[in-house]
Formats: sequence, structure tokens, C-alpha cells
Amino acid sequence: MAGDKVRNKIDPIHFEVIRSALTQVTEEMAAALRRSAYSTNVKTRQDFSCAFFDRDCKPISQAFTQPVHLGSFVELIPTSVEAYGAENLQPGDMLVVNNPFGGGSHLNDVTVFGPVHHQNELIGYVASLAHHVDVGGGAPASIGPFQEIFQEGVIITPVKLVKQGEMNEDIFKLLLAQIRSKRVTAGDFRAQVAANTVGSRRLSEIVRKYGSEDFDRYVKAVIDYTDRRTRAEISDIPDGIYKSESFLDFDGFTENPVTLKTKITVDGEKVYFDFDGCDPQRRAPVNSTKAMTFSACAYALRALMAPDLPVNDGFYRHVRMNAKPGTVVHALHPAPVVGGWETQVRVNDMLFRAFAPGMPQKIASSTKAMMAQAGFGIIDQKTGEYHCNYEALAGGYGARETSDGPDAVQQHGQNTENAPVEEVESHFPVRVSQLSLIEDSEGPGKFRGGLGMRRDYHFPNDAATFTVLSDRDLEGPKGIFGGMSGRKAYYILNPDDSKRTKTELSSKCVIELKPGDTVSFQTPGGGGYGSPLERDPERVLEDVTLGKINFKRARECYGVIIDNLTNDVDKAATKRLREQINKSRSSH
Amino acid sequence: MKELNTKRFRIGVDIGGTFTDGTLVDSSTGQVITSKVLTTPADPASGFISAVNKLLGVSNDVDPSEIEHVVHATTVATNAIIEGKTAKTAFVTTQGFRDMLEIARQIRPSLYDLQFEKPAPLVPRQLCFEIRERLDAKGNVVTPLDEKALAIVVDQLAETEVEAIAICLLHSYRNPDHEQKVGEAIKAKIPDVKLSLSSKIVPEFREYLRASTTVINSAVTPIVSTYLASILEKLHSADVNSELLVMQSNGGVYPAQSASESPVFMVESGPAAGAVAAASLGSALGYPNVISFDMGGTTAKASLIRNGQPNITKDYSVGGAAQSGDGAFGGASGYPIRTPVVDLVEIGAGGGSIAWVDSGGALRVGPQSAGADPGPVSYGLGGKEPTITDANLILGRLDPSYFADGQISLDTEAAKNAIHKHCAEPLGLSIEAAAHGIIEIANTAMVNALRLVSVQRGHDPRDFMLMGFGGAGPAHVVRLAEQAGIPQVLIPAEPGTASALGLLVTDVRMESSATLIIRADQVELSRITYEFEKLENSGRLAHSAAASASGEPIFERAIEMRYWGQSFELSVPVPDRKTIDNDWMNDLIEAFHESHDSAYGFRADDEPVELVNLRLTTVGKIARPQLRKLDTIDHDIQVAIKGERPVYFATDSSQGGVISTTVYNRQKLPPRSTFNGPAIVEEPDCTTVIQPSWSVTVDDFGNLIVENNQ
Repeated sequence: MAGDKVRNKIDPIHFEVIRSALTQVTEEMAAALRRSAYSTNVKTRQDFSCAFFDRDCKPISQAFTQPVHLGSFVELIPTSVEAYGAENLQPGDMLVVNNPFGGGSHLNDVTVFGPVHHQNELIGYVASLAHHVDVGGGAPASIGPFQEIFQEGVIITPVKLVKQGEMNEDIFKLLLAQIRSKRVTAGDFRAQVAANTVGSRRLSEIVRKYGSEDFDRYVKAVIDYTDRRTRAEISDIPDGIYKSESFLDFDGFTENPVTLKTKITVDGEKVYFDFDGCDPQRRAPVNSTKAMTFSACAYALRALMAPDLPVNDGFYRHVRMNAKPGTVVHALHPAPVVGGWETQVRVNDMLFRAFAPGMPQKIASSTKAMMAQAGFGIIDQKTGEYHCNYEALAGGYGARETSDGPDAVQQHGQNTENAPVEEVESHFPVRVSQLSLIEDSEGPGKFRGGLGMRRDYHFPNDAATFTVLSDRDLEGPKGIFGGMSGRKAYYILNPDDSKRTKTELSSKCVIELKPGDTVSFQTPGGGGYGSPLERDPERVLEDVTLGKINFKRARECYGVIIDNLTNDVDKAATKRLREQINKSRSSH
Repeated sequence: MKELNTKRFRIGVDIGGTFTDGTLVDSSTGQVITSKVLTTPADPASGFISAVNKLLGVSNDVDPSEIEHVVHATTVATNAIIEGKTAKTAFVTTQGFRDMLEIARQIRPSLYDLQFEKPAPLVPRQLCFEIRERLDAKGNVVTPLDEKALAIVVDQLAETEVEAIAICLLHSYRNPDHEQKVGEAIKAKIPDVKLSLSSKIVPEFREYLRASTTVINSAVTPIVSTYLASILEKLHSADVNSELLVMQSNGGVYPAQSASESPVFMVESGPAAGAVAAASLGSALGYPNVISFDMGGTTAKASLIRNGQPNITKDYSVGGAAQSGDGAFGGASGYPIRTPVVDLVEIGAGGGSIAWVDSGGALRVGPQSAGADPGPVSYGLGGKEPTITDANLILGRLDPSYFADGQISLDTEAAKNAIHKHCAEPLGLSIEAAAHGIIEIANTAMVNALRLVSVQRGHDPRDFMLMGFGGAGPAHVVRLAEQAGIPQVLIPAEPGTASALGLLVTDVRMESSATLIIRADQVELSRITYEFEKLENSGRLAHSAAASASGEPIFERAIEMRYWGQSFELSVPVPDRKTIDNDWMNDLIEAFHESHDSAYGFRADDEPVELVNLRLTTVGKIARPQLRKLDTIDHDIQVAIKGERPVYFATDSSQGGVISTTVYNRQKLPPRSTFNGPAIVEEPDCTTVIQPSWSVTVDDFGNLIVENNQ
């Protein structure tokens, strides 16, 4: 039985058993984190992720929560282990880290991770990342336009938060001292530690059952399997060079939009993302770290592949990119990075647009492609406690080749829930006075983009500091293949109050609100796909019936005439109008 | 005190996808009669009454007036949602929130799929209305209800000709006044419309979840009430005038009248029955801690029973992709409900699940199923792709000439050819090894389901008895126990219809709750006493309306608690003492810390604890039918032996491979007899596979107790 042939044989059954058990571990971590966390952002909106890495820091399995985090993990864990020294980690230790220039992303995304041992032998690492509602810095919720990383909050290079199973109270106290929302943040940190404890416990059980030698062998087999499938999937992408460019509307300080460019080369089983031509990094919060940009490439590539493909090292090793250091897609110290996700998600959108000519059936037209982050802070007058809220809002999704873009939904690597109005109002002295779809905000097309969303925050009795970190205040998401753009975003102070001045805010600002003020956050609609004149008139009628678009828009954008009395499409008049519009367009 | 019921007979009817099962129990003797008729999807009530008539016909001595009650499990509500056949429904909410159902939770059901769809709201946008009014989070009125605007909306509602209206105003869980006034105004103008108020259905915070639950209730009310009325009518014409009870998703039953008003409580009526059957049988036999495993043709369901009670969850979605515990986006493809549901994990692994090899060369099983049509390859009804049943056949676990009581003859050659072509050849394995692989992979998914309901909820599966039933359950369950490290398995008598029996062994259960959301160090204890008393009064009222519930109502009190700042509550049973005083509160808080530690691995003793909801379950006890002992059989176990055949076993020890295995006829097994595995036990609708190193004891009631000898 000791022959190499027998020993190295991969039993297909063991393979499947271990593969699902590894994913299950991270799912259990996610459940523990979510259920024991304190902030609405983590417990309800699920702005966190969990993953398992092998002893060489290769990503092995992950719970499906936020792909933006998962992609950035790939850079963060090996960099942090190297920085701290694997030899300095004992069983039961956990490091805490958020250093953007050491494989991290923006400072709010804090990772707690630690080694997992079996009989004193290192098996790998479990990690949980949570977007903390506040990490200090220049504004509550730690988002806003700043010019240096030091204004954005506490920078944590890897240090021990947990020492052999016990909280390292000195570090924990120092950390919390930098942070506004102390109680909530402390609760979220405890939840991260709980998640890792659960993950670590379950992994050692698995290794105990199969033995560490077999465990390693099968982990490698899972990676090889993913590698084989990934190469087959890349081969299915037509070879060629795909190019696109895009820009971020506003950097927070200057009038110059941020230019983004990509050139993707697909050659057989290889794909290469090049970002030559992107702007140099700015003294403005729009810089993406290398890990964040990597995560955009990984998401774009993964979304073109079969839905059941595992995401681990066997996949990530095929994500190759060139992002020049010192640019907005690979920021260097001491660039501010808090709005780097705005750039990251726009890069993601750009990558899909680049792939569009080769894979028109796989991609979506432009989505909101911004994180749409809103934060506020209020100091409780009675207790002096500082409360912070953070959330990211949905927008219209891009239309697809055979279907409309869904209304008001998250996009790309972001899939966080909305904060229930009743939950927010029970935690903070705020009133959400409206949460609605924005009618007529869709990008018209043969298939239309989704509608944008409006959420209004009213502060009846308290002064508050409000922060907007978003984009799209110049232009809405573009359509594709003849589809039109969605409505752009708006950020408005006191939109419908006759006694207060209505003011349009920028997409990146921190403002002091007086009691009685309202901020209206309005996200863009998604881009259309194909010419709106080719849209099935019955679909236009349906949108009119649902009140999602009005009669005028049906006529002007889609060339569809709806009879006011019968509520039916006037087919003859529609045909005439569409011919007329086509003619006038071709004569231009 | 209500009179005790003395009538002799009870009837249970469970409508499944293919068959409608009827069960009649004679309470005086414990004798059970069953009937099986084909389900009639176009008019399920007609299959229902055929099953009842068949029961009454078989036992001529049943006087319809001697029937105490009829209990029914039905998927009529779920099917209406899945098939998009819900009633025309309107939605009324606070000004500014008309799009609550459209926006839902703003998430995508699948992360990497750019072609995803959000589920379409059950109420189209033009039937969503806003009312000017507003409460704050404490229930105080911020904007009074605008009566004039209300009158206009009511007129508009009258024009829509909807059958049902759901009302969900912000913060109505704190103060139902505005919702009630809106309801009254609508009722006055449109008296026949079915109204559902969120403050009545689920008075809990988080508006979308409350609204979604209320809308589902509303949208199925017309269908369910019509359906139940037609069943009642058919029962009356068969001279059965006893009370009709309906199985709820939480495993209790409630009167048909309550079901007609609050059908959202019975969306998972069918699957709950199996868990209840396992709980009841387990308790009766002295096994209060059971993992129930119910495997049929297309799915397998696992649930956990502690202290004789199934675990209950409120994190649930209907009409979406298969539910698998509380994975991050588990519910985003369906419609969430916040009513209690038996916490079960359902996976696409049944006898008909198809085996295939994916593009990366991995062997996979399910979730596609050949179902009953075309069915497994070996049925010879046109099935081309190999299934779990085909694999079991090749491995010798099923007898090709004794399947479904000999009614279907299985084609082993066809099964072998299909497995060779679709699995063995592409993988370079022998047919037997591929068949074994199919079973083991399906088993892995099932073991995972067992883990989800046990380990993931913080329970060690080894502390439980695993109970296997359903048509396909007994063929797999002993191997599952081996893989999950569970030392004891129970195969009930008549496993094929065991879940229908669950209908007759449960109590009338009515749930009510009140929201507190207050820190334990700030609450006035008298308020808890007062709220529980209020809930008890309404529970008493409901109890007296349920004819079948006998004796005094029993109240189960629990409080949903969390650390102040968390959002997920743990339900903690309240200390069992009459007076709510400081000691009572300290015990309650300690029970919460312990429960948190066991669920998540830590307790935070210095953190304030919050009381979120008070929950009261009013239980009206229904007397259980007595278990019937097997008649004493004088003969030796040898009489039960049908013969021997070679069977392929997979084990964790060295005893695997093809083993010559004794085959027993279950109906001839004498009580208290014992025998060792490997063994096959056959009965008309089911085959049990006993692994090597396991031994079987037949108990006095004909159940098989299977134990691991190692």
C-alpha cells in the first residue's frame, strides 16, 4: 500500500467531501460573525467577508459575501504574514491589520486573522474582514475628502490583537481610543474573533479526521481542479486585445476628472490586465491600492465564467495585471485611499465594457459603478457617546443582452444590504423620510437599465455631521450597443423644504447639518443595452403601467405612443414615430 | 376547563407531489389504517376526499360522528407562490415607502452572475399605495394619520378590484393604532376584501421583512380560504362534521378558521409534518433528542429535535432557490417570511437525483432530478441519466424484482449501461466504483445537511438519535450515521408513510408575540408581567375557540434576547417561576449568556443585555394515540429470512466491498429479535440497508434500533 502510485491517487469521493467541508467552514465563520456583530453595517448589511488560507498563504476557500474584500485578501494575508514573521505566530494568536500599503484597502476594512494549528503543526490561516463603521480620522464614519492617509483614521500594521486565545487588552484599548463609535466597534471586533475561533475549531476537526498529509494532498487537488477549469474557461474567451477607458467624475478637490484606461490581452489560456495610461495618484481620496485593483480584475474575470467555479488560488493565479506604482490604480504612501473603492468599482465597469465586443452575451451595460457611501455622526447630548452610521446605497443595474437591468440593486463586487429604516431610527435620532425608486431614471435601450434609488435622511432635533463619498455627479452610467445613459446621481441638501435653501452637494463632501436639515441621496439609473427604438412596445407599456416611466418618456426615448384612454400601445402611430426618429437620426 | 374529548378516531391527510396519504388512528386501540391515492393537482380537495373516503371504506366500523378531528398538511400556499398564482393584492404603506417591496434588501441572489434577476414583487407597483402618517421608533405620532388622504386612497383601492390588501406602516410593531384605523376605513368601504395588518401578523421591527411576511399572507389568503372551505364542504357531504385542523410550518396545528386568516403560518406545512412525526415518536420511545432525516424522490430534509421539540427558525424565505441554512444570501432569491418555521435543511438529493461529470472532471450528484417522470433509468419509463436509485440497484441494495411491492420491475442492465456511459467511462472507474461514488457523494451532501442542523447550531450530532424515514431514507441513513459519527439509528415502522402520522401526534399551537426592545437593566419588571398576561388572555381566547384542544391551555414563554447593539436574537425560555422579580431576571440573563456562549463561543458578561420580543405559545394538548405493540410472534427470526445476495458496501473500516448479505422480510421480524449487519431489510414500500459492524434490535413496536458495534 505504500507505493507512490497508491498514495498519490486522488479519490474522487474524498475530494468532493473535503472540498465542500472547506467552504462550509467559512460559511460557519460568516454566520458567527454576522449574528454576534453590533454595527448595522456588519450585522445587517453584511459588509464583511471570511476566508481560509493554506500555510503558504494561498487562498483556499471563502464564504460568498463581498467579492471586493475577497479579492483584496489575496494580497493582504501573505504580505501581513511576511511583515510580522510566520515564526512569531503561536497557536491561538490573531493579528489585526488594515494597512493600505501593506496589501490592504481603505482603513475601514479591518482584517483579523490567525494561524490554525493541528498538533502544533501549522495548517493555514483563517481571516475575517469587516468594514468598521468608524476608524477615526477627519469625519464620522471615517469617509470624506482628505489629502493624506493620516487624516483617514488609524493605520494598523499587523499587530497581535489576540495572544494565545486571550485578547491583548493594551492593543485593543489603544485601537478603541482612536475610534468614535467605541462600543459598537468593540462588539464588531469581538465578532471577528468569534468567527475566527469557530473557523479554526472546525478546520482542526477536519484535519484530525483526514490526517494532515491527506488534507494537504486534497487541498492541492482542489486548487489543481480549479486551475484546470479556470484555464478552460479563459480559453473560451475569444483571443484578442480589449480596450476601454472611463473616468471618475470628481476627485473631491479639483475640477479634473480622473482618467482610467485598460488594455486586456487574451491569448489562449492566459489573460493580462494592463492599466497603462491611468492618472498618477492624487492628493484626493480616489486612489485605489494594488489589492483593490486586483480585486476588480478578479471579479471581472470570475463573472465571465461558469457560476459553480470555485474561487481559490487555482483561479486567482490566473489574474495577472500591471498597475504602475504611484497611479490611481496602485497608490503609494501617503496617498489617501478612502474613496479608492469608487475607483475600483469604476475600473470594474470599464473592464466589462472592454470585454463587451468579444462577449456581448456575458456582460452588462454600465451600472451605478460607485459605492454610494453615506455616513453620519451624532453626539448624544446626555451621555456624550459618539454614534456613527455608515451605509452604501443601491442603484440601477446595467441592462443585459436579453433582459432589463434590475432596479435598485448592488453591483459588481459589492452586495451589501440596505439598513432597515426601523433599525436605523431605533439606533439614531434620524428619520429616513423617503426610500424610493427614482422614476424615469433608467438608461433607455432595447433592454433598459435599472432605476436609481433615493434615500432621504432627516435630522429632526439634532445637529449632525454628514459625509458623502460617492460619484457620478457629472454623468450617468453609459449605455452600450446603442443603449442610452441612465440619470446621473444627485446629493441634495433640503430638497423639498420651502423654509430652507435647496443646495446641490458634491459627490465627496463633509457637511455640518443643523437640526431640521435633510440630505437626499439619489443614485443613478443603469445604462441601456441596444437601441430603445427596438424595445418591445409591450415592455414600454408595462413600465408606464408600473409608473416606472411616464408617457412622455415612452414617446421621446422609445418612440412608443400609448393611447391615454385604452392604455394600449397605438401600434400604427408607434411604427410611424419610430421610422421618423430613425430617419432624422440617420440624416444627422 | 374544557371537557376532555372522548371521540375515538382521528384522520390525518398529507398531500404530496405524487401521492395523497391518509391515516386513521383509533385512539382506543392505537390501531392505524393508511390510504394512498394519487394527488389531483387541478383540484387537490378531490384527492383529499378520496383519501378520506378510502379510509372510511376500509374500516366499515368507523362512524363519521365518532371522528374527533381531521388534520391536514398542504402545500397549496407554497405552490401558489412558486407558480405565481397568488391573488390580486394591494399594498398600503407610509408615505415615502411605496417601493419597499421593489427595493427589498437591495442585494443580488448570486454574486458573480451578471444575468441575475431580482424576484418580482408579489404586488405590482401600481397597486402599492402611500398614506400620509408617521410614527417614530418609540411609537409616538410624528405625523397624524391624514384622514382625508386616507379616504382618497380607500376610493382608489375600491377601484382596483383587488381580492386582498396588506397594510404595513412604519413602526406599527410599536403602535398599531394607525394600521388599525386604515384597516377599519378599508373594511367600511370594501367589506369583502381580505385584510392583513402587519401589526397583527408579525409585530416585529425591520419593515421590509414585516411587509414581505404580511404581503405573502395577504396574497395567499383568498386561495387558502377558498381551498379550506371546499375541503370542509366535501367533509360535510361525507358526514364528517368534526373540526378541521391545519399543520403549521412550526409543527403545531391550528383551526382551519385561523389558517384562512393567517395562512403565512402554514407555508411549510408539508415538510413540518415529518419533523413532528420524528419528535413525537422519539419522545414516546424515550429519545427526546433526535435528528430527523426524511428522504423522498427529489429531496432530503434534515431537522433537529431537542427535548422532544423541533428547532424553530424565523430566518426563512419561500419561493426561492433551495434553502440551505442561513448562508449569507440564502433568501435573496425568494420572499422572506418572519413566521416560525421548523428549522430544516432541504437539499436536492432524493432517489431520483441525477449523477453527472462536470467540465473539470468531478463527479456530481443533483440537484437535477428525474422525479417520477421519466424516473430513474431502471424504471424503464424513458429515463436516460443515472440516478441514486440506479446506483443503489447496481450495488445490490435494491431487489430488482421486489420494488414498490413488486409493482415495478427494475432493469439492472439499463442502469449499468447508463452509469458506464455517463460516469464510469469519463472517470476511468469500474461501474461498481462509479455507483459507489454516486452514493458516497450524495451521502456527503446529506451528511452536510445533518451538520447544518446540528453542528452549525452548536450541537454535537453524537448526542442524538438519527431517525431515517421517507421512501429512500432507510437505504442511506445507517451509512450517514457512520459518516457523521452518530452511534444510534432508528428506522420507524412503516417508514414510507411515517410523516403522515406526524399530523396526528401534535398539539394545537398558537404563537403570539410583543415587541419590547429595551435593556434588561432599564425594563420595569411589571411591564413584562403585564405583557405576558395580555398575550395569555388572547391565547386563552384562541384556545377556547379550538374545539380539539382539551383541558387548560399550556403557555410556553420565551424572550428573544441579544447583547445591546446586536441584531440577531437568541430565544431564551423564561425561568420557570410565577413571580417576575430580580432573581428571575438574573436567571434569565445568565441563561442568555450561556446560550450565546454555546452558539458563538463567547459571552460578554459586562455588556448590557436587551430584551427584544416576548413570545408566548399557547398549547392546547391533544391526546396522543397510543403506540401499538406488535402482536407476539412465536416464530424464530429465521422465518423472516428471504435469502442472501451480494451487496456492495462502503465503510470507513476494512470490511467494505461486495459482501454476501442476508435479506430479511420486515413484516415477519419478531419483536425483541436481534441480528447483525451487513443486512438488507425489505418491506413493500421501502428497503433498509444495515452496514457491516452495525447490529439491529426490533423493539416491541416494530421499530428497528440500529447500533454501531465499534
